[in-house]
Amino acid sequence: MTVDILLQAFALVFRWDVILIIIASGLFGMFVGAMPGLTATMATALLIPVTFFMDPVPALGAIVTATAMAIFAGDIPAAMLRMPGTPASAAYTDESYLMGRKGQLDLNLGTNLVTSVLGGLIGVAILVLAAPALAEFALAFSSFEYFWLAALGLTCAVFLATNDPLKGFASLFLGLGLGTIGIDPAAGFPRFTFGTVELMQGVSFIPAMIGMFAISELLRGVTSMQGSGEVVLQQVGNVFKGVGGVLRRYWVNFLRGSGIGVVIGALPGAGADIAAWVSYAVSKRFSKEPQKFGTGHVEGIVDAGAANNSAIAAAWIPALVFGIPGDSITAIVIGVLYMKGMNPGPTVFLQNPQLIYAVFMIFVLANLLMLPLGWAIIKSAKQVLRVPKNILLPMILIFCVVGSYAMTNSVYGIIIMLVLGIFAFMLEENGFPIAPVILGLVLGEMFEQNFITSMIKSDGSFLAFFARPIAGILGVATIAIWLIMLWRMGPWSKARPAAV
Amino acid sequence: MRFNDLVSGAILIVVAVIVIILTLRFPEFPGQNYGPAVFPRLLAGLLILCGLVMVIRGFTAWRAGEPLAVVPSWARDPANIVSALLVILAALAYIFLLDTVGFVPLTLVVLLVLFLWFKVRVPVAVVTALVAAFGINWFFASMMRVPLPRGLMDWIL
Repeated sequence: MTVDILLQAFALVFRWDVILIIIASGLFGMFVGAMPGLTATMATALLIPVTFFMDPVPALGAIVTATAMAIFAGDIPAAMLRMPGTPASAAYTDESYLMGRKGQLDLNLGTNLVTSVLGGLIGVAILVLAAPALAEFALAFSSFEYFWLAALGLTCAVFLATNDPLKGFASLFLGLGLGTIGIDPAAGFPRFTFGTVELMQGVSFIPAMIGMFAISELLRGVTSMQGSGEVVLQQVGNVFKGVGGVLRRYWVNFLRGSGIGVVIGALPGAGADIAAWVSYAVSKRFSKEPQKFGTGHVEGIVDAGAANNSAIAAAWIPALVFGIPGDSITAIVIGVLYMKGMNPGPTVFLQNPQLIYAVFMIFVLANLLMLPLGWAIIKSAKQVLRVPKNILLPMILIFCVVGSYAMTNSVYGIIIMLVLGIFAFMLEENGFPIAPVILGLVLGEMFEQNFITSMIKSDGSFLAFFARPIAGILGVATIAIWLIMLWRMGPWSKARPAAV
Repeated sequence: MRFNDLVSGAILIVVAVIVIILTLRFPEFPGQNYGPAVFPRLLAGLLILCGLVMVIRGFTAWRAGEPLAVVPSWARDPANIVSALLVILAALAYIFLLDTVGFVPLTLVVLLVLFLWFKVRVPVAVVTALVAAFGINWFFASMMRVPLPRGLMDWIL
């Protein structure tokens, strides 16, 4: 039975067209990740229109590969230009850059590459082991468990993604509110559609993502283009020299970083960037020589370089098992899963196990492919980083427009993209985080449906929400986090949650 | 514009009140206590709560001397504002003109305007715009079967 499924998955992955797509999207991810200002989430959003007409396995494979590569490639400009390629490298940008200044650029890039590959593989291993087991467990879940799971996920998104819980919650409620547009899940009544047919099926998901991640980034990019002068890049030598020694010395750091990455990745709402910040801070806290941190010391880079890549794979655990995204990338992935008819949830492991295992295989492949591709991109970094922004940004705008149009086959997609792009830009300008908006929009319908179903089942009694054991535990955990946040918001506490 | 929390909070409250007013027209279903209005009203209530706390917080900050709105540093350079407006105008152009003008001609114009504003050299701008417009059209319209409008292309080619 299982061997049969693995063989089916193998046949789905090892086809020349799938492999070609994986390599192409790997190169694409490397490029996007290495360009400062273009994020891994943006890479995913821009990939969706292209993957729209592919089969599920190559489509998901393209996303998996591009994001894994992008998170590593973000380390390159961090070390060379002191500009993180993606936010996931921001935690140790200064450290990397200082290493380069000390003449250790090769060692830094090599360590980043190898810890990224190995950390990614650990993340995949946990994903492969944990997801099917969790799925079996989740088959018994009712609307009460799903309600609390979604509530816990949304709460974590606010808790982890911002140092201002108030604005985080406001973002979340705005996102959930956007999710209520369209036919309501309980009674089939069209809400807030103002008579337009297009809005009946809700705010189109992918154009919304392209707007919130790509257009808002684009607006930020074009308004900061002035003053980015010529940069002198250093020559890169043999990047693998000395990496073995670093790993032997700091293997505990590597395992700890990967572990932190897996946990934070699997928690809904927080992804690679927060994993890197946390693991870097933990590394400094428990280091034998914390005074060396911030002077170009490799130790914290081992932790954080492994953490952000292990988080990428772990974020797929809640996305596949519960349909709750682990980070903003898997939020988009959930949209893709629905488009491909693989509705995320425990049943997908029963109905389409070969597809799930094919995705797992691609994860392993992508991480192995990162070694040669990463080496190639490091070697060609001088050329890649010289691609002029003033040509790149207008081109990205065109891709956003075409992508949004392709999702709805009408300018309606472009309208959604523009409106939500400006909305997200304004929110971020005023200190409201975007991740909770996305999560609210993705989870809104499921959250409301489970809430209303539970309310009808329990006839309005809130006690029933805690009556089943797992629902009770999840509920208490959620409420505990609410209380912690309330406590921290109070005037008696000066301590803010870790600034990220 | 970067607003004081007093302003942001007030905007949140206004939005939430509008949502509640809109839900008043939602139908009630006899025998069903939890209809389409329940969840939006709950969210609006929570938003009002957030908005109120922000208003109080912003008011204290305002009394302590924080201005109601600040112009962020990027917006002090008029060129940056033009850049942002050009991006928005370009998207608007696609919304209103795509169906009549067609993808390729519109993309040529949009790319040329943006390239030249961002000081790309003229020959590079022209060649890149031509290659990009036809290339993207070929990839999406022919390969991906996205029905990108042909518009003016029909009587040019």
